[in-house]
Amino acid sequence: MIVLQLVINGVLLGGTYILLAQGLNLIFGVMGIVNIAHGAIITLAGLFTYWFATETHQSPLLLIPPVFIVMLVVGGILQRLLLEPLAKLGRSRELLTLMVTFGLSYVLVETALNFFGSQYVSLPDLQTTWSVAGLAFNEALVAAGALGALISGGLYIWLRYTASGQALLATSQNPVGAVTCGIDVRRMRAIAFALGTALAATAGILLILILPLSAPTADTLTILSFVIVALGGLGDYRGAVMAALLLGLVQSGVGYYLGGDAEVVVPYLLLITFMVVRPQGIGHATR
Amino acid sequence: MSGGNLRVRGCALFAPLIAAAVLFGASAAHAQKPIVVGASISETGPLAVDASYHLKGIQVGVADANAHGGWLGRKLVLKYYDDQSNPGTGVRLYTRLITEDKVDLLIGPYSSGISQAVAPLVNKYERATPMPGASLPAIFSAGNKWAFQLLPPATGYAEGMLPMAKAMGAHKVAILQAQLSFTLACGQARLDQAKALGMDVVYSTTYAMPPPDFSSIALAIKSANPDAVVVCSYYPDAVGLAQALHRIGYAPRFFAETIGPAEKQFNSAIGPIANRIISNTSWWPSLKTHGNAAFIASYKKMFNEEPDYHAAGTYAAVQVLGAAVKATKSLDQTKLRDWLATHEVETVEGTFKSSPTGLSLKFGQYMFQIQGDKRVLVWPTAVAQGKPEAPYTGQ
Amino acid sequence: MGQWLERRLSAPPTTPATAARGPRPLAVAILVAVIAGAGAVPLFTSAYVLQLATDILTFAALAYGWNIISGCTGYLSFGQVSFFGIGAYATSVLVLRTGVPWYLAALIAAAFSGVVAALLGTVMLRLRGIMFALGMLGLARILVVVASDWNYIGAAGGLTLPAQLTPVAVYLAMWVAVAGAFALNYFVLHSGWGLSVTGVRDEETAASAIGVPTARIKTAAFIMSALAPAAVGGLVAWNRSFIDPPSAFDPTLDLQVIVFALFGGIGTLWGPALGTLVLVIVGEQFWAYLPDLQLALYGVLVIAVVLAFPGGIVGIANRFGWLRRRPVLAPTTLPSVSRPPQPAPPGDETIIEVRDLTVRFGGLVALNGISLSVRRGEMVSIIGANGAGKTTLFNAITGFVKPSEGGVFYRGKSVSDIPSYQRARQGIARTFQIPRLMESMTVWENTLLAARYGKRGGDAVEQAAWALHTVKLDALWLEPPSKLSPGQQRRLEMARALALNPTVILLDEVMAGMTRDEQGEIRAVLRHFRELGVAAVAGVEHVISAIADISDRMIVLDRGKKIAEGKPDTVLRDPLVIESYLGKVS
Repeated sequence: MIVLQLVINGVLLGGTYILLAQGLNLIFGVMGIVNIAHGAIITLAGLFTYWFATETHQSPLLLIPPVFIVMLVVGGILQRLLLEPLAKLGRSRELLTLMVTFGLSYVLVETALNFFGSQYVSLPDLQTTWSVAGLAFNEALVAAGALGALISGGLYIWLRYTASGQALLATSQNPVGAVTCGIDVRRMRAIAFALGTALAATAGILLILILPLSAPTADTLTILSFVIVALGGLGDYRGAVMAALLLGLVQSGVGYYLGGDAEVVVPYLLLITFMVVRPQGIGHATR
Repeated sequence: MSGGNLRVRGCALFAPLIAAAVLFGASAAHAQKPIVVGASISETGPLAVDASYHLKGIQVGVADANAHGGWLGRKLVLKYYDDQSNPGTGVRLYTRLITEDKVDLLIGPYSSGISQAVAPLVNKYERATPMPGASLPAIFSAGNKWAFQLLPPATGYAEGMLPMAKAMGAHKVAILQAQLSFTLACGQARLDQAKALGMDVVYSTTYAMPPPDFSSIALAIKSANPDAVVVCSYYPDAVGLAQALHRIGYAPRFFAETIGPAEKQFNSAIGPIANRIISNTSWWPSLKTHGNAAFIASYKKMFNEEPDYHAAGTYAAVQVLGAAVKATKSLDQTKLRDWLATHEVETVEGTFKSSPTGLSLKFGQYMFQIQGDKRVLVWPTAVAQGKPEAPYTGQ
Repeated sequence: MGQWLERRLSAPPTTPATAARGPRPLAVAILVAVIAGAGAVPLFTSAYVLQLATDILTFAALAYGWNIISGCTGYLSFGQVSFFGIGAYATSVLVLRTGVPWYLAALIAAAFSGVVAALLGTVMLRLRGIMFALGMLGLARILVVVASDWNYIGAAGGLTLPAQLTPVAVYLAMWVAVAGAFALNYFVLHSGWGLSVTGVRDEETAASAIGVPTARIKTAAFIMSALAPAAVGGLVAWNRSFIDPPSAFDPTLDLQVIVFALFGGIGTLWGPALGTLVLVIVGEQFWAYLPDLQLALYGVLVIAVVLAFPGGIVGIANRFGWLRRRPVLAPTTLPSVSRPPQPAPPGDETIIEVRDLTVRFGGLVALNGISLSVRRGEMVSIIGANGAGKTTLFNAITGFVKPSEGGVFYRGKSVSDIPSYQRARQGIARTFQIPRLMESMTVWENTLLAARYGKRGGDAVEQAAWALHTVKLDALWLEPPSKLSPGQQRRLEMARALALNPTVILLDEVMAGMTRDEQGEIRAVLRHFRELGVAAVAGVEHVISAIADISDRMIVLDRGKKIAEGKPDTVLRDPLVIESYLGKVS
């Protein structure tokens, strides 16, 4: 019984992690850069959601469509302004784009600090817990997990089976080849970044219902997302899902049997283990 | 020769006049020169919100002192800098306050971490300094002569929780603590106290900050089935754990957490889950401590909001300094220090009394309970506003 | 804009054909003034200024440490604060528990940190750049948790350290730390050994192909980058008389250090010092007025520097002719080294042999059971349609690709277990299809780097000079590769190969994209390869007309198999060969 509940907790936690990681994964897959501002975007969206919910007393879920669209636009603009100038560089591109997103993350965190303060905030929505056959299912976690699965599934279908998605995939696998196929690679990069940031913002809206967020700890989310993406194999969508579930399950078990301290180091230990044993991650994609 | 004699006689006449004028001028200027109180506040950075109350308390304290004519006939002026919640910056700023700005008096910074970094400094420069942001006993141990604790020691922070639980019939208790020095000290004291009270500790763990996901820990607590859950926490972990227990559908009959529930947004963060959670505080508005009513009134007038225990702590620091200055009639640091080490002062926070190494001996701890949208002081019974409601149901 | 950025980043500006030698008088004067000023600070200013100066020195030392691994080696690290914390704790524990004097403890802590870096490096430096950067970030997090739990070092409460250091002592000790870190940077940027580091940063693969033991170099650089922060950490802990996990592993330290080094000029000698000096002083005044925006301003600064002037202050200064990097070990003028024709070392009839070599990439079979050999004294051309497996063959011979089956033999011995850099040192040189030249080094330094691994008892400078003369690039010896025409770049690749003092040279499409004249220059060198001391040459080629008459033997590959072999005239008329290029005429 305990074990079953642990498994459920682990899966639901994994769902949360998938939500966290997919935006980062998409950007990395297509552009080959890690968006270090990822955690800051999630946090900023979460804090904004908190403000919205407490000011207007409306459901935070209402924010998802408008925030998604706005972030698509904002993300596209950011990519054009800050990242596209670097896209043509050769080997220094990776380093410089890391730097730029690094700087961007601090700008975003400071913005969040100034508008929303440095305190942790969370929302008391979706707090019902259903009991099914003696097992507990919490509304917020199920919603996040379901949405995470939905987003991942939707992303997967879009990438594999639609023309625009395939164009994106092609760009990620072979930019030069994509150009020769007539794909507007510049547009693909902008779309990937815009989509990635929009996904991150959506994750933030849902996350504030699950755990407290604060501006100063935004980078913890970046690291966690990165761990999941790296575990899954950078750029591998299915791998990320597997990694998220693995992480959720391991953390769930370790937290129960070994206590709070051990639980915290699980992501990093897993990452180090994989770095040593299987650097390409759980998934099968090689890059 | 005669000219020289004249000149000399002229000088002899003028000299005492000039000297008198200078002396008079100097003392007059001195009489108008304000007493400068220096501090560093975490205006930015992760500690900023709590530190703002810390600052407000000092500001009200200084304003009140000035309203009563100041100290030694001189007005008080507050000089502060932003340490950005960073101990290294705090050290640099206190060095600046002491050596460049040469302030007359010092008040310590917010948070044990920064206080711990600054304490060696005030010892090195021999400045008597009340520390209203430091609860760690380690700061006030052997080797410390000049820093004075203005909070109850960490070990006493939750001392009412277990007796309360026991009074409600609890035997089995789960004790959790965050991996930070204050909460560890508090947690260890709880574990010792549980043993002393004959209570059975059925589950205990620590967790790192920022806090992890609590669902497995909550499950472990549920498996152990305690009557009481006592957590030495800060804010995000207090929220997280309460949520996690609710999510697995478990409610211990007695649920107490430190610090977090005292924050104003705790209720709005978790809604009905907060009902009947018990927490600690070092100050409460209903207490009849020295100057409390006046403090609350001044604070409301200046800032249009209710004060909290952080502000009370720094207000008490100003009260303590004032008492020392007036009693010794000087700003001499050694005299102030010696006086503070040997005397008691009544403050809004209770009775200040210090051990030879600066540890606070008489500040008390109180417990309050969230009851609906109200907060009610429930312990010690002598000063309680109401009775604690039981059991905790998570609704 | 992208190209402009690339050039700003990589190329040192042009210097005249003679390289200056010895310290410049202005530099010496400034150095003396700085030392005098440094000594004066504690004597004539207040404790606050002394503390500020100490803070500047602290950040400068940290910036120099970061510069080595991130700037000079190209492995961006977001977690150098890990070493700061390790050093802080190691020093504190040493002094508290064993009573060792603090300055000795700081040194021991630095050494300990270096050992940790060596161990970490074996895991982390194998990773590509991004993984390394974020792995280091995660490391700092892990260390906070570990330290918070470890009672021996005080756990979450930290350690209180009895006041032992006067501020002046700390200030002077910081100077020593900065001087040490500066010296390490100088060594990396101005020594022959340091050239390997730059080579690894610019072109890790090509570096391996010219004999640089890339893994060892990276680890050494990583160790060097860990020393300064550890020593500094120890001193800071004792200056504050207190240390705990959050302050020891404070991530904002990393941010500030990165901003300072970037602003000053990443990967340069003076960048970290200049950036730290300017930004700490400016910041000190600035954030008093705008405390709420400090982090944001740092972020904006990083973005602005990267997009507008990635070379930092030093980059800007370079445009005015100041603070330019001087080429490493460059003699004042390039010696004109002529050699008598050198016979290749005798023995070994078969220089390179490949037996039943099969290379598979997933489902694709690039080479299918190929056997061929290159014999002493001959030039072999390997031709074939695209996708025939020619470059894969070279990659297998030089160790950049692992064979799925079969073996590669060099001078009779199997080289399957020998890493690529050692094959290069043993005498297998190669060029690349697209020239992989080290962009931030001059022509001279590119060649010198290879010569260092190929000197075999001779003098590297002479070897490099000889190689440049042989390919007739001596006039351009101090230019950056970006200023060379494609033909000249190819010749530089050849010079690099020659500088290795090789036994065999493998040329990968060396004639591609060259004008007739340029081809003629290369052919001139190839014709006389025997007199240059090279035993054999093998060339993969598409421009058949350029190599047919100088080749002794020609081998044709088609879809991973050898389909013809023999004298060029015969082979080029073979119907199978014609069919593989042109298709069947039905």
